[in-house]
Amino acid sequence: MKTKSTLMFVSLFVILGLILAACQPAATATPAPEPTQPPAPTTVPPTDVPTEVATDEPPEGPCLIIGALYVGSVKDAGFNQAMHESLLQVKENIPCVEIIEAENIPEGPDAEKTMQTMIDQGAKLIFPTSFGHQEPAFALSEKNPDVIFEHVGGYMMSGNFANLFGKPPETFYIMGAAAGMMTKSNKLGFIGAFPIGWSVTFINAFELGAQSTNPDAETIVTWNFSWSDSAKEAAATDALINQGVDVITMHVDAPSTIIQTAEARGVYSIGYQSLAAQQFAPEYWLTGVGFTLGGTMTWLTQNVIDEKWEPIFLRCGVADGCMTIAPFGPKVPQEVQDKVGSLLEDLKSGKMAIFDGPIVDQDGTVRIAVGSTLSDEEMGNVDWFVKGVVGSPK
Amino acid sequence: MSLLALLGVLSSAIYSGTSLLYTTLGEVISERGGIVNLGLEGVMLVSAATGFAVTSVTGNPYFGILASMLSGGLINMLFGYLVIARKANQLASGLATMFFGFGLSALIGAPYVGGKIESLPRILVPGLGGLPKQYTFQFQFDLLIYLVVPAAIGVWFLLFRTRWGLSQRAVGESADTAFAAGYDPNKLRYQALFLAGMLAGLGAAHLSIVYTRTWKEFMTAGRGFIAVALVIFSKWHPLRAIAGALLFGGAVAFQLLLQASGVNISPFLLDSIPYVLTILVLMAWGGTRKQSAPASLGRVYRGSE
Amino acid sequence: MAVTSQVQPLNSLFAKKPVQVFVRYLAIFFVAFVLFGVILWLAGKNPFEAIRDMLVYTLGTPSGFSEVIVKMIPLLFTSIAVALPARVGLINVGAEGQLYIGAMFAAGIALAFPQLQAWILLPMMVAASLVGGAAWAFIPVYLRAKGWVNETITTLLMNYVAPTIVSFVVYGPWRARGAASAPQTVDFSASARLPSFFGTRIHLGLIIGLVILAAYWYLMKYTRWGLEMRAVGGNPQAARRNGIHITRYLMLAMCIGGAIAGLAGMSEISGIHGRLRPNFSPGFGFTGFLINWLSFGDPIGIFLMSFVIAIITSGGDILQLKQGLPYAVLNILLAITLYVVLAKPTLFRRKKA
Repeated sequence: MKTKSTLMFVSLFVILGLILAACQPAATATPAPEPTQPPAPTTVPPTDVPTEVATDEPPEGPCLIIGALYVGSVKDAGFNQAMHESLLQVKENIPCVEIIEAENIPEGPDAEKTMQTMIDQGAKLIFPTSFGHQEPAFALSEKNPDVIFEHVGGYMMSGNFANLFGKPPETFYIMGAAAGMMTKSNKLGFIGAFPIGWSVTFINAFELGAQSTNPDAETIVTWNFSWSDSAKEAAATDALINQGVDVITMHVDAPSTIIQTAEARGVYSIGYQSLAAQQFAPEYWLTGVGFTLGGTMTWLTQNVIDEKWEPIFLRCGVADGCMTIAPFGPKVPQEVQDKVGSLLEDLKSGKMAIFDGPIVDQDGTVRIAVGSTLSDEEMGNVDWFVKGVVGSPK
Repeated sequence: MSLLALLGVLSSAIYSGTSLLYTTLGEVISERGGIVNLGLEGVMLVSAATGFAVTSVTGNPYFGILASMLSGGLINMLFGYLVIARKANQLASGLATMFFGFGLSALIGAPYVGGKIESLPRILVPGLGGLPKQYTFQFQFDLLIYLVVPAAIGVWFLLFRTRWGLSQRAVGESADTAFAAGYDPNKLRYQALFLAGMLAGLGAAHLSIVYTRTWKEFMTAGRGFIAVALVIFSKWHPLRAIAGALLFGGAVAFQLLLQASGVNISPFLLDSIPYVLTILVLMAWGGTRKQSAPASLGRVYRGSE
Repeated sequence: MAVTSQVQPLNSLFAKKPVQVFVRYLAIFFVAFVLFGVILWLAGKNPFEAIRDMLVYTLGTPSGFSEVIVKMIPLLFTSIAVALPARVGLINVGAEGQLYIGAMFAAGIALAFPQLQAWILLPMMVAASLVGGAAWAFIPVYLRAKGWVNETITTLLMNYVAPTIVSFVVYGPWRARGAASAPQTVDFSASARLPSFFGTRIHLGLIIGLVILAAYWYLMKYTRWGLEMRAVGGNPQAARRNGIHITRYLMLAMCIGGAIAGLAGMSEISGIHGRLRPNFSPGFGFTGFLINWLSFGDPIGIFLMSFVIAIITSGGDILQLKQGLPYAVLNILLAITLYVVLAKPTLFRRKKA
């Protein structure tokens, strides 16, 4: 009896292992790029923290080790994939760098531990890419003045800590304009993760864009209170469609569930985060926006290598190539495509003014007076919705 | 709130309640046999990852669903080995299985993150073809949804109308008495756990292959635990579990409807309602009425060695 | 209620020599690492490199080792929070929820009196967290004492209620506005932060945790109180015949357990986070439950197990950076360790025979 059950214990492990092994070969079938190679031992001169793992160093090493931190998987067809692909481009442009990456790192102070591990591995430039990585990264930057931190999407700044990001409000405005032209029910849906200032600003920009082409358009908002709860995203998509929404966009990490659910129900979707999202909606894809920060990250990296790096609060948009508008779906009429094209021209020539007053909120209170506008910093702190948005900004 | 919106809540509740119901049905079976499995979260994760992976490789969601069921059953066998053969504590073994599932599913699923799979088609409920589009829209369900209520009835039949179910419940009440009556408690419990794992696998398959069509680490987000609560809520009865799953699934849908209607009410307090409700229901039953819980639930059957 | 679990064997408790205990745990880990290695090998990785990387980094580098200690602190608290009620036969699966409520109470004090000096503010926060955790634990034990609901189910369910309450206050009345528009409270003032040592994240919570562990050991081994508690847990009928007030012991043990779990929450937000955030615990309460089972409530066992589990849970970074393994894979090692202990009865006895 005893031998039998012990045998069973072992065989269960083996069976589970076999399932696992059977699943492995297919890894090559996925189109997404493979995760980076396990890093070779470092050649960076000894840092404050001695690293025992660095004993067998080769004579020549990378010119710079870059650490990158993601809150999700780099193949999520969303924000993390966009960041990962931007970094791959850095590697392509500057082959002597080496990139070490950590996926699925939760937001919060334990990210500091992960980044410390990267520094112990020799990283001299770190890209923490999630909003909740900002504070732990900042705390670590104070302890490691010789390491440079380029956080994506935050606001903190110091001598070795800077921030870069795209300009999503302007692209959301353009997307809104397209959505306003496409909708028949005059109801647009927006699925947000958390009611944070930036998300609220995106929604406002989207609604203002929609109003610019369709004064009757309203945007219905639901919050998931998670960056990545797929089942809730599916439920939210269903809930919005049941409310009569016929164009859906989102600000979550990985939009694939929302886009596929909308596609299955014959509702248009507008992607955000990564251009890879388009594959999930072959028919009802409207258009979308992806982050393409490769060029900017290359420039920053080169500056670090050349020891010319300075902390800059960097925001760059479509005009600078930091964000890219996705190709249109098959059902988008020429008229809408032309409108998006002309708005892009306006944007590049600096004629687009999204948050120029007067702008009133849901209750009719004037929030932005005639002649004034929102600064970048204010955009991160908005806690009110413009008139025409249905939902709660808190 | 219009009729349409309320129908929408019902439709959403059915969608998000399906994976809960399958998993709950499985847990009802194993708890009727006297075994509580807190590791459902892990079982679901492994099944969801395996199902997604197999669908992705074969291009056929039905294979994925089968693989999902099989892997659920296997993980439960591992759990069963600990609590039945090794007579280990059920709660600790369950939590250990949960952690095992966290890790194993991440390993299995890693190559398939972000993949695009074929899913089950949505089919309109027969006989509703004549309704306007905004109604028919909400009553298009997939095969797994159509099968979930028959599955509940099947589990009820199995437990209460068959010899196997009778012996299973006898084991759940008292393994020693059942043994004296000529049953083999260990064998029955392994069978119950395998079936329970397969049902949890079906639930997980609905979640990853059909409902969200994606695989992400930790994507079950607590649904395995909700299923454990639902078993208690439905008093260990498969048919009451249908109502329970609709209620729990409906809570999510209703909260989203409130948000989309611009009603400002904290979603967090709404989120906690299912758990608070379960505790209140338990208190209402406690002491007053006869318990429906299997008497030997959680106890180790020492056997006759 | 019907969900019962066998009470842990008490005869083995405190009886073994430390060396024996140590050797046993070493054997457990050896087996666990071998099985983990097999799984890594099946997944196409080099198990020797992976395990070497993990051990070298966590035990052999100052920053790696300091993180092990950081991870160990909350586990010390939560495993005692489970162990103490277990002595009287109560199953506390709810340390996770008690931790959240304790943290919320402590945060309430920190936010209300930011101007106070540390020597008065920190003790107030500690007291608040004790009250919060105890109050949250009181509900299930009261229901149990009344004979209404079994504490296993209630503590388990209440784990899911507590974080929603924390989320409610953090998204609602306590949310910081302005630049840090992330859903969290404002930063605590410096006097509300537990001091940390050696430029690492190791904080005063370590000392508090060790003191509580020592107190637990002393209580159980040398006081009448501990003796009576063990009597209650061992044989309630006999204890009642001997005039021991059982209900009082049940309540006390559970509430103290809850209070200690609450303290874990305070130590985390004050020592590490510096603010209250939603979902800040990665399951410390559940891990504490498991550590108690791994160690059979033995104080030395709790210390060693917390340490080892901390090594496992902080090894994920290096496995990912050097081996390209998903971060979550370390959960497999954690689970296998537990499996080996849970499957122990014959596995180890047979070795001796």
